[in-house]
Amino acid sequence: MEDLKKGSLAKDRQVPPCQAACPIHQDVRGYLSAIASGDFDKAMRVIKETNPLPFICATICAHPCEDECRRKNADDALSIRSLKRAAVDFGSMPRPSPVPKNGEKVAIIGSGPSGLTAASDLACLGYKVTVFEKESFLGGALAQYVPLYRLPRGLIKRDIDAIHKMGVEFKQNSALGRDFTTGDLKKQGFKAILVCTGLPLSRSLLLPGFDMGNIYLALPFLWDVNFNAKRLPPGKAVIVIGGGNVAIDVARSALRAGAEKVKVACLESGEEMPAFPWEIEEAKEEGIEINCSCGPKCVKGKDGMVCAIETMAVRSVFDREGRFNPTFYEDRISIIEGDIVIIAIGQTADLSFLKGTEKPVTDMGKIICNPDTLATPCEGIFACGEVVTGPGMAVEAMANGRRAALSIHQYMKGEALQIDEPKPFGSLDECVISAIKRQSRQPMPLLKPEERVRCFDYIELGYTKEIAAQEARRCLSCGAGARRIEDKCIDCLTCVRICPYDVPIVTQPPDNSVQIREDQCQACGICVVECPALAIEFNSSLFEDMDKELEEAMSQKGSKIAESKIVLFYCYFGTYSIPGLTHFLNCGLPTEVKAVKMPCVSKLGVSIFLKAFELGADAVFILGCTDEDCIYAKAALWYKRHMENARRILKDLGLREEQIDTIEISDGKYHDLGNRLIALAQNKNVKEVTI
Amino acid sequence: MIKGEQKTIDEIEGMIADYRKILVVGCGTCVTICFVGGEKEVANLASSLRIKERVKKGDKIIEEAIVKRQCEREFIAEIAEKVRDADAVLSLACSIGAQAMAENFPDKPVLPGVNTTFLGLIEEPGKWSEVCSACGDCIIHLTGGICPVTRCAKSLFNGPCGGSADGKCEISPDVPCAWQQIYDRLAAQNRLHLMDSVFPVRNWRSFSAIGPRRIAREDLQVPKAEETT
Repeated sequence: MEDLKKGSLAKDRQVPPCQAACPIHQDVRGYLSAIASGDFDKAMRVIKETNPLPFICATICAHPCEDECRRKNADDALSIRSLKRAAVDFGSMPRPSPVPKNGEKVAIIGSGPSGLTAASDLACLGYKVTVFEKESFLGGALAQYVPLYRLPRGLIKRDIDAIHKMGVEFKQNSALGRDFTTGDLKKQGFKAILVCTGLPLSRSLLLPGFDMGNIYLALPFLWDVNFNAKRLPPGKAVIVIGGGNVAIDVARSALRAGAEKVKVACLESGEEMPAFPWEIEEAKEEGIEINCSCGPKCVKGKDGMVCAIETMAVRSVFDREGRFNPTFYEDRISIIEGDIVIIAIGQTADLSFLKGTEKPVTDMGKIICNPDTLATPCEGIFACGEVVTGPGMAVEAMANGRRAALSIHQYMKGEALQIDEPKPFGSLDECVISAIKRQSRQPMPLLKPEERVRCFDYIELGYTKEIAAQEARRCLSCGAGARRIEDKCIDCLTCVRICPYDVPIVTQPPDNSVQIREDQCQACGICVVECPALAIEFNSSLFEDMDKELEEAMSQKGSKIAESKIVLFYCYFGTYSIPGLTHFLNCGLPTEVKAVKMPCVSKLGVSIFLKAFELGADAVFILGCTDEDCIYAKAALWYKRHMENARRILKDLGLREEQIDTIEISDGKYHDLGNRLIALAQNKNVKEVTI
Repeated sequence: MIKGEQKTIDEIEGMIADYRKILVVGCGTCVTICFVGGEKEVANLASSLRIKERVKKGDKIIEEAIVKRQCEREFIAEIAEKVRDADAVLSLACSIGAQAMAENFPDKPVLPGVNTTFLGLIEEPGKWSEVCSACGDCIIHLTGGICPVTRCAKSLFNGPCGGSADGKCEISPDVPCAWQQIYDRLAAQNRLHLMDSVFPVRNWRSFSAIGPRRIAREDLQVPKAEETT
């Protein structure tokens, strides 16, 4: 939101490819890092910084971020949307920060994703925002047409409630053109009006037989299923015409509404189908038949009712310029039998409410507006979302809503609009990719196909906390790692020689110095620990956080034995693989033991061990991954060396080497950990220790 | 570059025993690169000494400082105040840096935390070897770029000696015979004829026979005030 106030959506800087690909440029790396450490509340705070609809996006976002995830070059992209789902499942919604109001009023017409985003952003900028919604419920197309098995309505409410708490007012049953005009709004003091009414009308087909009974349009059908619990007569086969996401929604809803068999017929080939691949896959799992490359010719009927559709084989869908312009092999005819036809070939806007405005604002079924400012020819009236852009992803509509909010803000201030899009880091080098340890993506657990087709229950079961942390740990933390401090670096070449990923290089003359390629860094931290000049720091705060946590742990009072303090460094990434362990480490250890979380043993150098002793520790133990388990190449090797060095120093200081040691948990049994640590610290047998 | 090794904690403790406030001073060049006196090593040594004080309930105060090059008075001047506040300076520079500290702060005890060991090369991370003795009369153009003064255990000019076997020196199986290396290198360069000449007896005057060596170049000396008038 700070960026919004500064007048730009995002700074002109390089960001991880996931963040650049996200239309609203969320800090994906930031919330994945929080999830990896088990801090779901922090993940929610990071998400809410840029996303006013976390519950909705966690459920239905088409996640363009995953398409650009650089991990896909090593094994699989991160399951980012599923991790957002874990954040909303286990994290708490942050309270909105109070924003001083600027006294200006903005009206938003429509409560879909673009309108809600604009409302939230404008409220953050100090405007008094009122959202007018034609229906009796909020959420726009998400609430009206998205099937319940994909988006439970309670989740939409969670997001809208949070926006409501920011001071945004919602007026349902209030339709522009029916209940009020833009002139009325201006008279009420609304300085700007944002129209985001979406695409609520289904397109139809004007082909022979399409006037028969038992032929429906997609959106009214979905509405009926969602709001009227529409059931199809038993034993009927449904033919869905269309290859987009709405067609798949219709097909899967028809199955749940009692269809005996559902067949999708679309113009596109399997690769060309505009529906998301995972939606198509899930539909197939449910037994839906997909007939590609067939164009409807006519409906065959019997007694005025549908019995089949006749289709022609498709020669091509798009012309040379890439425009939709299907051609057919008219002699290659197929018959698809069925009793009901549902047409899902696209939507269009309903702009009847704009009739009679002082200037023409519609053209070819769309609202005329400046694509940059989203301002219509009518003073103070803006438009955004699918009514402007045409059909797309919800998150794209959100981005458009954000653009509109910013544009309105600039309009109110009388300043020119400036929007800079962040640039993504380039691709990973082959040498980096080859050194990344392979780790498969965690699949989102789903209801079994045979269970899910019987009802409209939400089909995604969600990750456990442990699985979410493991999946988030796969994030390559693009750009969060090492940065050379130019003033301190003496070009000793240590980092160049030790990096397991060959990220630091020596540049050619005239620079001829060490360059740490930040966009290639995997954030293992080995170079930070090794650098003799302390000339490397992290772009993220992982090292500072660990130092701070150690200082806080050592300053806590209340130890049972005042003279004894034991520090347990635990890798919060690894410990999450054992259910309940992290909770135990935070709450179940005796007071003598101070558990300090660390982001991988690779970041433990001699200095942090010594610091613990300096701050009063009598023993330091480390609970971390073995070499095989750690995600970083060679991390455990370096860590063991650092530990040995620290042990040698202890010995030189007249202390016992064993006062620094690794500790292991076998078979997930950790309940005697406190006793074991105290016994080790006091050089006793565990049976002699009583807590 | 100059290579060194940190003294043991015991030695250092002995040196600092009589002083209460100790300033550990590192150097940002050679000793940083060989991991004995850079900012990280200063921090770790200072931390170790503080732990020792905590354990024995002592009252020593251990401070830290780092200078870019301890052998230059202009850089040393930056920590003058810290030096003045300390009872003693524990230098983690090479002996040149430590002596520069002593020269610049003549009233302050300067304690060497590092043994200056040799002029050497890194073989691989964590391994360094001596390659130059600063003898003052370089002849490596005749020996395939390998210094026999330093790398031959006997500093022979007409090697190898009878102690060379399988390419190793008799002093240790870990030490390569420098003259075998010279032979191999010259052979690879097709310059083995250089081995046919016998080196004349070496004049060691350039090395250390005449006390501390000095270099004076008038062309680089800054004219004194009276010379400019």
